[in-house]
Amino acid sequence: MTEHDATRRAFLVRTVVGVGAVAGAGLLPDAHAQNPQQHNESGAPAAEPTHANHVLNGAFFNYDGAATIAAFTERLMPGAPGKPGARDAGVPNYIDLALAGAYADLQDFYRSGLAQLEAYCRKTYNQPFVRLDDARQDEVIAALEAGKATGFTWPAAQEFFNTVRTHTIEGMFADPIYGGNKDFAGWRLVGFPGAQAIFTPADMQSKQAFTRASMIGLQAQAKDPERGA
Amino acid sequence: MAIEKTDVVIVGVGAVGGILAAELGKAGIKVIGLERGPRLTTADFNGHDELRYFQRQDLRPNVKREPVTWRPNANVRANPLPLLNYGNQAGGGTVHYGAVSWRLHEDDFRVRSNSMERYGASSIPEDSSVADWPLTYADLEPFYDRAEYDLGVSGKAGNLQGRKIDGGNVFEAPRRREYPLPPLLADQSGVIFEAAARKLNYHPFSTPRAILSHPYGERPACTYCGFCQAFGCHVGAKSSILVTKLPEADRTGNFKLLTGTMTYRVNSDNSGRVTGVSYYGPDGSDNTIEAELVILAPFIYDSTRLLLLSKTDKFPNGLANSSGQVGKHLMAHISAKVFAAFDDRFVNIYMGPSAQKHTLDDFNADNFDHSGLGFIRGSQISVSPADLEAGPIGTALSMNPPPGIPRWGAAYRDFLAKYFARYASIVAQTENLAYADQTIDLDPTVRDRWGLPAPRLTYDWRRPNELARVDFMLRKMEELGHAMGAAHVWRGPLGSGAPGAHHQGGTRMGTDPKSSVVNRYGQSWDIPNLFIIGSSTFPSMSGFNPTLTIQALTYQSADAIVNRYRKNPGPLA
Repeated sequence: MTEHDATRRAFLVRTVVGVGAVAGAGLLPDAHAQNPQQHNESGAPAAEPTHANHVLNGAFFNYDGAATIAAFTERLMPGAPGKPGARDAGVPNYIDLALAGAYADLQDFYRSGLAQLEAYCRKTYNQPFVRLDDARQDEVIAALEAGKATGFTWPAAQEFFNTVRTHTIEGMFADPIYGGNKDFAGWRLVGFPGAQAIFTPADMQSKQAFTRASMIGLQAQAKDPERGA
Repeated sequence: MAIEKTDVVIVGVGAVGGILAAELGKAGIKVIGLERGPRLTTADFNGHDELRYFQRQDLRPNVKREPVTWRPNANVRANPLPLLNYGNQAGGGTVHYGAVSWRLHEDDFRVRSNSMERYGASSIPEDSSVADWPLTYADLEPFYDRAEYDLGVSGKAGNLQGRKIDGGNVFEAPRRREYPLPPLLADQSGVIFEAAARKLNYHPFSTPRAILSHPYGERPACTYCGFCQAFGCHVGAKSSILVTKLPEADRTGNFKLLTGTMTYRVNSDNSGRVTGVSYYGPDGSDNTIEAELVILAPFIYDSTRLLLLSKTDKFPNGLANSSGQVGKHLMAHISAKVFAAFDDRFVNIYMGPSAQKHTLDDFNADNFDHSGLGFIRGSQISVSPADLEAGPIGTALSMNPPPGIPRWGAAYRDFLAKYFARYASIVAQTENLAYADQTIDLDPTVRDRWGLPAPRLTYDWRRPNELARVDFMLRKMEELGHAMGAAHVWRGPLGSGAPGAHHQGGTRMGTDPKSSVVNRYGQSWDIPNLFIIGSSTFPSMSGFNPTLTIQALTYQSADAIVNRYRKNPGPLA
């Protein structure tokens, strides 16, 4: 973890009440980034998260926007045991930091896209996106991807989907210095060893996964040469 | 407003400008180079960062500050392109390119004549303006040789003075001697591609690249890190202008580089000569350089844009444009792709120099019989990472999953997880013909950060000849993918009609001042002390990456300026 990450984490996770685990380098405590249904085996409606207990605005996103982006990107790249997903990799944190910096010109694009997404979900399912179950969330995303979700003017539904997808991929696989790819989660998923300065003739001749050296990023190196592939 | 005097001013210090700076400087000519971007060093490239350099295009123009617009035809409004694939710093595109370094074939210099002779006049689309070059391969061969040895290119000869050599490109035109450096090591994608191509009786070989396979001069050999295309080289093994000709230019004591400068006009007088250029400095200042000779060497859009912006009462259609040909005949490569993924082995295509790694030339140029195929010319076919660079962002965004797998969700995650290190892509870089209605002009509404009209491209590659060529190549590449033993073989998307890589044309060269802008030396027919050098002068484009040909033409022009023009400043042809 870099000094930059540590500072940022301290800022983001400043008030976490009632949640057992401290979040990783991300906007949300794990329990709230996940779908409520996953933690509710009884099938009863989960309690609406109360803002007072979870003041976790990001550098750009407000609470609701952060929750929606976390849920949306997790459906695009879902985590599973041994397969890190968007939340594991800190994708929402990556997007948040990018919108506060390099992609500041896309702030209105996201504001408007999220508002249209919410309006569509409320109209179609009478629920906000984060309250839908996985299957319904997937239906919504598929409707965006196909341009079939109604009520979108700017950004268009497909345009919003494509941009969030691109940014999810960036957050999964960009160097951890940008706030995603936490602990090389994305690189472990696909088996990319990062910015190796050299490959040897033996490396080049191998038909196996590369394990000679640890993954290396701009400011950090993995502790072990384990590969996710 | 500062006024400065010099012998020669060069606009754009990239693949062309850097060579000119060194060659003219060595001859005792005082040169000022104006460069829009910064001058970086090898030390700047220590951290290979895919987001910064590939995805956010840090070594390329900023699309918001330096927009270029595109429209498929003249009936619709142009919108800014989302990506500009050329350089934006001293060294130009050679800093971030994949360094693929080809000599054109003999018939690439005479596409119109060759097609008519072999297939008849009807083989050339009626609306195509493809033209022969005003020089032959033999004319340029000494300068190709000089470029390869001066800069440092690794490869294996396939045609040594007419003797065909297995393992090199047997379709190449005769070369006087071997490459200065042996071929780069093949990675596993190259090994698999080589075997499959031989099985199909093709002639594969390691792509010639301006990347050092062994130490050369004071520079070290390649470390095979894989960060070439879109990246600067962290050891200086890529033979970019930054580490080859710019240090040489510095040592002459005759070269001054002005970075962060935007040239906005070429100045001319009533005698019909140019007198220098005006530019905005990094502090916003408005400055003028007076020079005996003005050489335009930016990326192709800016040659056309500067000529059009510099119009006067004497040159009402822009400079060097009595022919009306400035801005016409825009060409670009299209990369058609097939993906091959393996269940029984890793490929690790992120190892070794990125871009086109191993190549076969059997379906390029006129190397095969086109009778009855419905198109002329061909394509380089190579094995390469999905978007020429091999990091996971570029791979995920460029490699569409095979049919049946969605672009997101658990199945997509599993696809990426399984195949990121187990795939290769096969890429056809197709030669597209020149058409007069494919143009560069000034956008009427979009302006850049200096308030200058953005270059506007009008272009759509989806013409009958081009579509037939792409379809043919896709089928060949699918055969190759299966011959490679891949468990899954599928096509990449072809996208819109927008121009792909390696844009060429706009100030074409020729033998007739009525139908071309410059002569074979890049000298304006209208204004003998104005040169325009670069791929903007190409009358046809070939299926090969253009940089080595651009560089060979530059050595030819430098030679003509130093040995002939200086003694007798007038028309060279």
